[in-house]
Amino acid sequence: MRALYQQAIDQHRHRIFSFAHYSLRIKEDAEDVTQEVFIKLWQHWQKIDHEKLGGWLMRVAHNSVIDHVRKQRPQQANVDHYADVEEQVAQESGEGRLDEDGFKSQLQAAIKSLEDPFRSIVIMRDIQGMSYEEIQVCLELSASQVKVYLHRGRRKLRENTQLRQLFENQLSEKSEVKQAGPSGQ
Amino acid sequence: MTKVKVMPSNTESQCYFIQLQIDGYLDGDLSEAQCGVFMSHVQDCSGCASEFRYAQTIQDAVLELPQMSCADSVLEPIHRLSAAEMQPAVGVRSEPLSSQIWELLNSVPAYFRYGFPAAAVAVVAMVIGTNITSPVGSVEPLVASESVEQYSPEDISQALDELNVAIDYLNRLSQRTEVMIGDRFLVSPIQDSINASFQKAGIRENNPLDNGPI
Repeated sequence: MRALYQQAIDQHRHRIFSFAHYSLRIKEDAEDVTQEVFIKLWQHWQKIDHEKLGGWLMRVAHNSVIDHVRKQRPQQANVDHYADVEEQVAQESGEGRLDEDGFKSQLQAAIKSLEDPFRSIVIMRDIQGMSYEEIQVCLELSASQVKVYLHRGRRKLRENTQLRQLFENQLSEKSEVKQAGPSGQ
Repeated sequence: MTKVKVMPSNTESQCYFIQLQIDGYLDGDLSEAQCGVFMSHVQDCSGCASEFRYAQTIQDAVLELPQMSCADSVLEPIHRLSAAEMQPAVGVRSEPLSSQIWELLNSVPAYFRYGFPAAAVAVVAMVIGTNITSPVGSVEPLVASESVEQYSPEDISQALDELNVAIDYLNRLSQRTEVMIGDRFLVSPIQDSINASFQKAGIRENNPLDNGPI
């Protein structure tokens, strides 16, 4: 049993941690979620349908993330501060990577700011590449609900004003470079 | 094809309709005909083209986000926990508590299984008996110097005489009822029992009492 448990951990640990990390954006919280998930796996080992282990683990992770999000709310200001610092560091890290890193950092912040289940579905589908069926099992939703929530989640991401602003800045910089290019030659 | 026919003629509505299909196009969910209509509109409409490019950029960026790695140290406590709980987790976890207790009892040797409860009952009985016979709060020794001093030597001598008479009476009574089985008395004279008790306690080993303990 211990060997099987170890095998399950090895197989799913990165996916669980990654899901928690993109959902919470705080490494320590993501580690806590990962630990909680695998402790629950140990506690419920004999009751679980092991053919649906991946879905069960993701569901536990999803619920655990929701709990952590509720706990995080009072500290929201700090989280936003961290995100700002990350963005600033990314912008200061170099001219070539300035926009790309800033954009990705803002993108992660935008993903985290999504409400559930939009956030979980976007992470599961677009970052983790899970199938609609897997997401259905994890979140106990119908296929049509998963699709609708995924599209709404993506649209909400696009409605993020800071993200759009960064994108437009990038576009205008590129067009400036294009315009400056021929005159410089 | 049906959806193509439903496409609104108004330009603003057309743009709204096209932008709703952006995700479907990016996911490859649109039919060939729908893709054709979608792309022809995007090529002609700068607003929708910009929106499409933005959606595509975000989609690409999301897909490029890496899978985070979970460090080994995060799961060390889990491994320790599972190693420590290995034994109970394997077989006993699903069994009811009563059967676990029964198994535990069966694993104990019989002399201990029955002897321990008997000893526990005896100890409890002794404690209860002591509490009943000794008044609450009297923690002083029975032969305390203060209590002895309350009686005169005449009183003590009289009490000893009465005690000897009582012992003598009991001794004769036991001799009348004594029964021999083999070489042993089933009911031995009480004086013998008392003397044996004193000898066992190491009192007057060389001078066993003939007429009683006093």
